[in-house]
Amino acid sequence: MHKFLKVAQREYLETVKTKVFIFSLLMAPLIVCGIIFFVSRTSLDKIGPRPPIKVAVSDLTNQLTAELESRFGEYSSLNPNRQIQLRMLETEQDTSRKLSDWAKTEVREKRFDIYIVLEDSILDGPGQMQFYTCGLKPAEIDMPWTIENLINTAVVNRRCQLQEFSPQLLEKLRRRVPSKHAELSTAGDTENIKSPGQRVMGMMVPFFFMYLMFLGIVVTGQQMMTSVIEEKSSRVIEVLLSAISPFELMAGKILGLVGMGLTVMGIWVAAAYGAARWQGLDIEVTASLLIYFGIYYLLGFLFFSALLAGIGSICNSLQEAQTLMGPISLIFVLPLISWFNLVRNPQGVFARVLSFIPPLTPMVMVLRLSADSNVALVEIIASILVLIAAVVLAIWVAAKVFRTGILMYGKRPGLWEVLRWLRQS
Amino acid sequence: MNAISLENVSKFFGNVRAVDDLTVLVPTGSIYGFLGPNGAGKTTTIRMIMNIIRPDKGKISIFGDGSIEQVKARIGYMPEERGLYRKMTVRKVLSYFGALKGVTASELAKRVPSLLKQIDLISWADKKVEELSRGMHQKLQFAVTVINNPDLLILDEPFSGLDPLNLDLLKTIILQMRDQGKTIIFSTHAMHEAEELCDFILLINRGKPVIDGKLDQIRSQYRSNAVSVELEGDAGFIETLPIVAGIHTHGRRLEIKLTDGGDPQQLLRALLEHVPVLVFEVKVPSLHEIFVSLVGADNAQVS
Repeated sequence: MHKFLKVAQREYLETVKTKVFIFSLLMAPLIVCGIIFFVSRTSLDKIGPRPPIKVAVSDLTNQLTAELESRFGEYSSLNPNRQIQLRMLETEQDTSRKLSDWAKTEVREKRFDIYIVLEDSILDGPGQMQFYTCGLKPAEIDMPWTIENLINTAVVNRRCQLQEFSPQLLEKLRRRVPSKHAELSTAGDTENIKSPGQRVMGMMVPFFFMYLMFLGIVVTGQQMMTSVIEEKSSRVIEVLLSAISPFELMAGKILGLVGMGLTVMGIWVAAAYGAARWQGLDIEVTASLLIYFGIYYLLGFLFFSALLAGIGSICNSLQEAQTLMGPISLIFVLPLISWFNLVRNPQGVFARVLSFIPPLTPMVMVLRLSADSNVALVEIIASILVLIAAVVLAIWVAAKVFRTGILMYGKRPGLWEVLRWLRQS
Repeated sequence: MNAISLENVSKFFGNVRAVDDLTVLVPTGSIYGFLGPNGAGKTTTIRMIMNIIRPDKGKISIFGDGSIEQVKARIGYMPEERGLYRKMTVRKVLSYFGALKGVTASELAKRVPSLLKQIDLISWADKKVEELSRGMHQKLQFAVTVINNPDLLILDEPFSGLDPLNLDLLKTIILQMRDQGKTIIFSTHAMHEAEELCDFILLINRGKPVIDGKLDQIRSQYRSNAVSVELEGDAGFIETLPIVAGIHTHGRRLEIKLTDGGDPQQLLRALLEHVPVLVFEVKVPSLHEIFVSLVGADNAQVS
């Protein structure tokens, strides 16, 4: 067996055995499963009862009491855990100011949660409803919106009554037209009926693939740096270099960690697929997407791990390396924060430009490929070629830096010194 | 034949000449000591031999003209900065480095236990390296160095920090390997260890060779031409002997300085004609004294 295969074998076996690895391997799928389970099992109704919201209303029109009481009563009987206590304040025009001052004080002293003033032109003019609250609890933050809807319904109903128009008829007239979405396959004559949930999945699957790529490249790449720094700080490196060349060492390490990364990917994809099936979500993944994913992952990982091997070799401690890692990690966040734009417009200029920035190519291309099956083959091949060129360059640079940096202790070399190493044969 | 030859090798770190025009030939089957104070260039020289750093000038060849990468499997190297994988077991560390040095799996299955027995670590074979004591760690490090049964052993400061028991063990193994015809190079700043083991000595200071050659020759070359004696009876006649240049008295002991070309054996015969001789010692200078006399006391901050 060639020496660098032995290095790869050790790297793989020793990394897979570490507690940190097993923990991070299991945690990601567990968290994903946990979130899916939690979201599908819980809704607001199941959180449990909360104390009733006390709402005081000054109705300056003096016409809405009956409608409001019936709307609020209906809501409370439908939502037994989220009661609203409505109190209509008796209003007369001349005392309204005094009354409103009193009500605001009551809100400040938490005897009312919300005080609402309905202006008198609300039925036939530009009148508004005014909400007064004081330090609403986070759990009740959605209540003004709910109450606004209830009052709106009450006001519309009252307007109908004034026009002698049946609210039931209005509702019947305003009924929404239901919709159904069918996806036609390009080849056969099958029609897939898509539920709204599936359409959301259509957005989420590309994100999931991109995130998987991100985790696979960055997390396992970090392992590269940890491993290099461990060998450097435990001074085992010189013993190693007496048996093998620096390049063999680096190549072996990269190969071992690629194997480890593929193991992690395999387990995560299987876990995600299993979780989706378990929850009855149908994910459409084509074989070609998986193949592209494999290619991009391999190249992306080679690029990033070569980079980190170089960085790791010039640092003396993990803390020092992480300082250098900061700016690099920021680049990776770019597609993560703009994923929504990328999914909506996978053929846009932004997506195309990001596809050709080597560290981001794997993430962005996988996102685009899973969001839209019509990415031009020329573009795919071009992005792969750019990535291959970047990988070759990264390995060339890393090998030079690694060779010199790995034996340097003490002060970390500056950028100019590293550039000088690159010029050396 | 020479196991290693360095020809006009130089290495600069910025403006510092770490090694300056060094030429050394290490004969096969010898123990060669690289001596010198801290910072003399010993580790740099050894690292250049191992191709861990490259010389700026000069040529290094090992086993004839083979490049180091081709002969790494025949070399055992113990660096000054030592370390092993802390999370691996003793047995696995030894097997891993053996495999990297090209020892076959079947050979390793035999060699690992026998080597662990030899250094008395067999009961620790399946413990993790981090559980070993410092002394055991050092023994294991040495075992890693010799796992490939090397023809050439290069040890950088092998004796620093060893307890007396391990020191003796290491010296025994080094001498055994020399007797098997293997070549050993080690660096040290402790002169007495070199005197005990070495056939050849290279004394370097500030990157430059000060002395290079066979230990016996070096000693006779720098002989101080003095004899120390203890006699019974009157010693007044000694001053009259033609080969004596001067006498210092330290209590019962007399330091006799001979004239240039004066033979100590002739002195002994002359003494025996007059009085019984209790002690007769031809003064051989220690390496330390030679070094001090050559580079000056300021430089020779050695133990």
